[in-house]
Amino acid sequence: MQCLNDILRDRAVMFKSSRDFFERRGIIEVDTPILTSDASIDVNIDLIMAHCCNGEERYLISSPEYAMKRLLAQGARDIYQLSHVFRDEEYGAEHNPEFMMAEWYRPGFSFQQMFEETVDFVNLFLGDVPHEVISYREAIENYVGIDYVTATDEELLDCIDGKAYDGIMDDGRDAILNVIMGTIVEPNLGKDCITVLTYYPASQAALAQTCYHDDEHVAERFEVYYQGSEFANGYHELADSEEQRRRFVASNDRRIELGRGALPIDERFLHALESLPDCCGVAVGFDRLMMKRHKKKELREVLAFPWV
Amino acid sequence: MAQIATNEFRAGVKIEIDRQPYLMVSNQFVKPGKGQSFCRTKLRNLLTGRVIEKTFKSGDKVDVADIVEAQMRMLYRDVDGSVFMDDNTYDQVTVSSESIGDVDQWLMEDHVYDIIFYKGTAITVMPPTFMEMKITETAPGVRGDTASGRVMKPSVTESGAQVQVPIFVNEGESIKVDTRTGEYVSRVSS
Repeated sequence: MQCLNDILRDRAVMFKSSRDFFERRGIIEVDTPILTSDASIDVNIDLIMAHCCNGEERYLISSPEYAMKRLLAQGARDIYQLSHVFRDEEYGAEHNPEFMMAEWYRPGFSFQQMFEETVDFVNLFLGDVPHEVISYREAIENYVGIDYVTATDEELLDCIDGKAYDGIMDDGRDAILNVIMGTIVEPNLGKDCITVLTYYPASQAALAQTCYHDDEHVAERFEVYYQGSEFANGYHELADSEEQRRRFVASNDRRIELGRGALPIDERFLHALESLPDCCGVAVGFDRLMMKRHKKKELREVLAFPWV
Repeated sequence: MAQIATNEFRAGVKIEIDRQPYLMVSNQFVKPGKGQSFCRTKLRNLLTGRVIEKTFKSGDKVDVADIVEAQMRMLYRDVDGSVFMDDNTYDQVTVSSESIGDVDQWLMEDHVYDIIFYKGTAITVMPPTFMEMKITETAPGVRGDTASGRVMKPSVTESGAQVQVPIFVNEGESIKVDTRTGEYVSRVSS
């Protein structure tokens, strides 16, 4: 690690820059509970559970998303939060099970305004790096040479010959796309500029609205990459509680199939979606930006207390 | 058979796949976007030395290879290979010439080597990184060699290794060698 004092000082500088950035844009800081009974339901995020107050089960948040959307539904306008979040089993060069997230919501923002503002935020850390915008479909076409929309599962699998794990066919098409992204596409993203990857397959919408783009059913979801690392995940936020419930149920079904267990559905969150203003939101990994800012290869090099 | 899950993957872990023992050279945790995470590993086959890449889904379990390492003293070369002894138990094993392979050039009697056993059979002999040995064969340095820019010359050591040494090193002198590269490190004063 660099001198501890340098790390701490620059981290403090970037906290201040981040807060100044939000203040200039009229976005106010909020803080919501880290310990919550309302689990975020995501097939591929494992929550860390806490036992407290007479053995009651709570979860450490994997993102402050649900609580922040409940604030929006109650009339809050532009809000941001800098919060530690927790994801079990995520440990590696660019992963730490506890990390700092910057998350904010913009009522009335278009999808494009949202990812442009996210690039501005990322550039607080990186300097003035130019950006490009490409769709998920174009990225796979460019780097793998296949149109995933028309390709069969077998054709997709051929692209990751030798890189697939055993039994990947049982996990479905999204699993194959996921390995294509992780092993071929992602390492190529953001080589010379920041890459905003847009329009994910509708099957990977998570909490985003879906729409039709070039006749393809896609999610209004984006991620931001620089030099092969991902920094941000943003949505044009889904405000349809019935559709959100269907997605939760589908995610829970899949979790049960995978032996991960179903998570309780947060009824207060679903209720809040009924009054959610049309908005966009994004979550940005603060520590990873610090890592890239200091041209390091591992998160632990910019953390005072890394996991291992 | 003992198993480990992907969250215990580290460089240095020894696992078994398709009845072959592998040493994990590296492990990269990958999690694109909201997708499921997986581990990309580089594995060295401990029998063939070949390095392969293999991807594992997070949460998968793999068998731990039945690998034991021991430090053993070389006693003598035999027709089938070389015989080593454990200094503590006095157990002796014969390691086949095939398993010894190129390491044969570094084998010297009464020196201690790391030996890797897979399911009870010695499969690899690892020499110390640096070894000292006597030069048994080399031409004398010729005046003028330095001027022509040729400052190294071939030699043969007592273990049978062929090592390029500086021209000032003479037969009968001892040198230190890096066994990873087979390169001369320094002269050893006796």
